[in-house]
This record gives sequence, C-alpha cells and structure tokens, in this order.
Amino acid sequence: MSPVRVMVVDDHPMWRDAVARDLGDAGFDVVATAGDGAAAVRIAAASRPQVVVMDLQLPELSGVEATTRILAADPSCRVLVLSASAERPDVLDAIRAGATGYLVKSAGAGELIDAVTRTSRGEAAFTAGLAGLVLGEYRRLAAGPEPAAGPALTSRETEVLRLVARGLTAKQVATRLSLSIRTVQNHLQNVMDKLQVHNRAGLVRYAIEAGLDEES
Amino acid sequence: MPPSPPVGDRRPAGFTVEVTGWRALAAFRFLTLVYAVALNLDDLGRVNSPAWCVATLAVMAAWSVVSSYCYARPRLRTPVLFVVDLAVTLATVLATRLVETPERIAGGEFTVPTVWASTAVMAWALRWEIVGGLLATLGLGVANVVVVSGQPTRGTVHNMILVLLAAIVIGYVAEVLRQVDRLLVDAWQEQGAVAERDRLARQIHDGVLQVLALVKRRGTALDGEGRELAELAGEQEAALRALMTRGSAAPSDGEVDLVALVTPATVSPSIELVAPAEPVMLRAAVATEVAAAVAAALHNVSEHAPGAHAWVVIEEEPDAVLVTVRDDGPGIPDGRLAEAAGEGRLGVVQSVRGRIRELGGTVVITSAPDEGTEVELNVPR
Repeated sequence: MSPVRVMVVDDHPMWRDAVARDLGDAGFDVVATAGDGAAAVRIAAASRPQVVVMDLQLPELSGVEATTRILAADPSCRVLVLSASAERPDVLDAIRAGATGYLVKSAGAGELIDAVTRTSRGEAAFTAGLAGLVLGEYRRLAAGPEPAAGPALTSRETEVLRLVARGLTAKQVATRLSLSIRTVQNHLQNVMDKLQVHNRAGLVRYAIEAGLDEES
Repeated sequence: MPPSPPVGDRRPAGFTVEVTGWRALAAFRFLTLVYAVALNLDDLGRVNSPAWCVATLAVMAAWSVVSSYCYARPRLRTPVLFVVDLAVTLATVLATRLVETPERIAGGEFTVPTVWASTAVMAWALRWEIVGGLLATLGLGVANVVVVSGQPTRGTVHNMILVLLAAIVIGYVAEVLRQVDRLLVDAWQEQGAVAERDRLARQIHDGVLQVLALVKRRGTALDGEGRELAELAGEQEAALRALMTRGSAAPSDGEVDLVALVTPATVSPSIELVAPAEPVMLRAAVATEVAAAVAAALHNVSEHAPGAHAWVVIEEEPDAVLVTVRDDGPGIPDGRLAEAAGEGRLGVVQSVRGRIRELGGTVVITSAPDEGTEVELNVPR
C-alpha cells in the first residue's frame, strides 16, 4: 500500500517543519506544506493530499475558509484540525466546514500520528475536546427555534459522546457500555456525518430563504 | 504599530482647555485692543493729554503681543506671567487719570483700555478657575474705583458686574473642561492599553507559544531532564495562553462565562478543558462557586493521583449546567469514602459537596480501582 499523502498547513515555520518531520518519520508522504490559507488552497489543488493537517489561525485566508475551499475542490480529501485549545469557536466552524478531526497542539507526536492515520481511513479523529464541541453544538441545535429541523442524537450516541468527552478511549467506552469497539466507532462516525449533513441542509435552506432558487 | 509614545503626547491636540482656552484669549485680547484704539483715536482731540493716551495704547499693543506669545507656551505660563499681566492691565487703567480730566472722568468717560482690561481677569479665571477670576476682578475693581476718585459712576458698577459674570462663567467652564480632559486622557490610555495587549497577544501567539509548544513536543521524546524541560515548557505555554484569553469573562447582566472562569485552574498540560464552543453563561455568584469547586477537585487529583491525566468537562443542559472532573488515576478503593466520612474527615470532597449543595445542586462521585475518579457537579440554572 502506498503511503498516505499529507499536507501540513501552519504559519509558523519551525512548528510546521517539526510536524512534517514527525509525520515523515512515521512513514507518511508529506507532499506539501503551506504557511497561509490562500497558499494552502492553491497547493492542495496541485499536490492532491489525502489528509490536510490544518492550523486555524492563518494569514491571508483563515483555516476555516481554507478548509471549505479545499473540500469543495476535492471532496475525498480529509482535514484534521491541529489548533490551540483556546480557539474552540473556530474549531467548531472548521468541523461545520467539513473537517473530521481535531487535536490540540499540546498533544504528543504519537497522538498526532494516530489521528492522521485514522483520518486517512475516513474515520473521525475524536478527541475529548472535539466530543465536547460536538455535544455543545447538538444541544444548541436542539434548543434552537426549530428543533425539529436538525438531526438529533440518539440516547446511545449521546452516551458515547459524553464518555469520549470525559477522556475515555473508544476501547474504554466500549467496555463500559458493553459494546464492541466497532460499534462505538460507528456511533461516532454517525454523529459526525449527521452534523455535516445538517450543515449542508442548513446551507440549502439558507439558499432557499435568500431567494437563490427563484428560477425553479 | 510603532512603539507607543509617552501618554502625554497621545492627547488629541487642539481639544483641551490648555490649547483652545489660551488661543481664544489671545484672539479676544487683539479684538478688544482694536476696539480700544478706535475709541481713543476718535476721542484724541478731546482728551487732556493725547501724548499719554498714545503712550498707553502703545503699551497695550506691546503687551498684547508679548503676553499672547507667553500664554501660548506652557513653559512660560507661570504665576509670574499672570501677576505681570494683571499689573500691566491695572497700570493702563490707572493711566486714565493722566489722560483724561477729572471732569470727563466724573462725567462717566471710559477708561483708556476699556474692555481690553478684562482679558487679564479671563486669564486668571482660565488658570485658577472661579477663585482666580474673582481675585482678578477684585483688583480691577479697586483700580477702577481709584480712577473715579472713590466715587463710582453707574457705568463703573455696571462694567464691573459684567466682568464679574465673565470671570465666574469662564472659571466654571475651565473647571469643567479640565474634568472632561482628564476623562478623555483616561479613556485614551485605556484604549491604548487594550490595543497594546492585543498586539502583545498576537506576537506571543505567533512566536513564543509556537516555540514553547515545539519544545514540549520535541522534549517529550527525550529522557530525564529533557522530559522535565518539556513539561515545564508545556506548563508555561498553557499559562501564557490562559493569560492571553483572560478578560473575556467580563460580566454581562450579572452573568459570566463559566468556561473562561474555569480556564485558569486548568492550565497544565495534564489537564484538558472540554467545553462547547459558545460561552456557558451563569450568574456570577454561582459561576464563582462552581469554579472554586472545580479548582478544589483538581487539587484533590494532583494530591491523590499525582501524574494522572484530568479532564474538566462543561456541559450545558436546558435547565442545568453539568461539570465533570475526571482523572485516570488509581481511583478510590471501595468503602474508602464512607470510611473517611465515618472518621469525620472528608476534606476536599466535603467542601465541593457543600459549595454545590448551597447552590441547590448535586454532586455524584464515582470511582473504581484502576478506573480513575469522576466527580460530577449538577448545578440548576
């Protein structure tokens, strides 16, 4: 199997090179790096990475906007957010834009390699921080003015998410709930898919409200 | 942004009483000078001594130039200048006795400087506000009474009352403008401080934090001292980050963001704060208690499970806020809590329970050997 093609986007050169080196050492093929959002969109179109490791505070174009454009150009690409913990609203925006994983910068190299591997397989790289954000987002949607419009979490999905938010690994969650690891991972994947479907549905609804469907 | 200049230079120039006030006074001085010259030249054929009249007008013109120059410069605006100004003015008023005949003076003739004489009073009022204005008015009044040989005419009284009113108004306005000025400078400084903090935060984010995170990252792979250095770098990174984001907990309608309030207690690489993207608003008093309970629980973790990883999870429900502190330490052996309670020593657990119960909330502690400990706080909102 050929190595996974990865691109690293971060505006700090030292950090960018260190992450790229760690990934290279772990057997990934780091096809490109970029220091700002606009360059990331341009270079991604040319080098076609499978996974983009994305910082969110970028010059030129924000990480959220760059994520949107990269995924619009290549829907098969996966974006893993590697960002500071204090930027939670931005991280949520990136998830809404289609990023499937979130890791804080203070995470170790091992965690990063694990997250990139899982992201490249199409799995959601679920950390406690991401679970907390996603839980909060579903609760916000449920408390919104039109709760029926969005997808809701099943009670089992909520249970799984809450345990992940408490720092339990998928394996620990599986043991505690007497499920298989596979089932736990499926639940997490569903949670993510529904959230992104909801966001796409939200976009369509927005387009209709804004009168973009007038020709029909 | 260039380095900040000293605060004094950042005042908006041309607004303050110190600038506008003195400029207006100079304009008034020259306008009244023109009026006095016109009046006296018109009268030159009728006065007792045209030579003294012209000489007095010359002194007034010269002093108008010198005093306006001096008042425009803060360094020269010393009490001496004000005293000399008043003295010259009073001298020109008294010179009326040399210019005019006693008959014309008794007949209600103007003094030589007329309105020009009031500029010295205004200068005192600008400098020492109402008190200064009143003192200078008193001096001018005495000079006028001397001119009319102790027998004030109706005109003298009328003019002195007008000068008195001008002194009070200008003194009061000067006082108010100085207060406004101070407020403005305070606001200016505050704004500058905020901008400076933002600028520093950006630079720290772009430079220092990245390097600290990098040191932590590379060092974690090392042994012994390298690893210790890495841990230290990680702690500093977390602390700096918390420092930069602080201030967002500002109260709105008596409510504060619980997440921002809890953040400082979680600045350690071994603690992860898990929360929704949006602020979790709670009444300030409630949030403070909850944050204190979280800090106590975290302290308990570092005490009883050193080296353990901890998670602080903040969840928002429609009618309650859930805060969970979980660690992956060795856990509390069965019966240990009950045993401690029986011995009457519950320490931290008790303090957490007490705080939350007072808010009408509940505390659930779950623990099993090798499964860590979980303290769940449920606070109604």
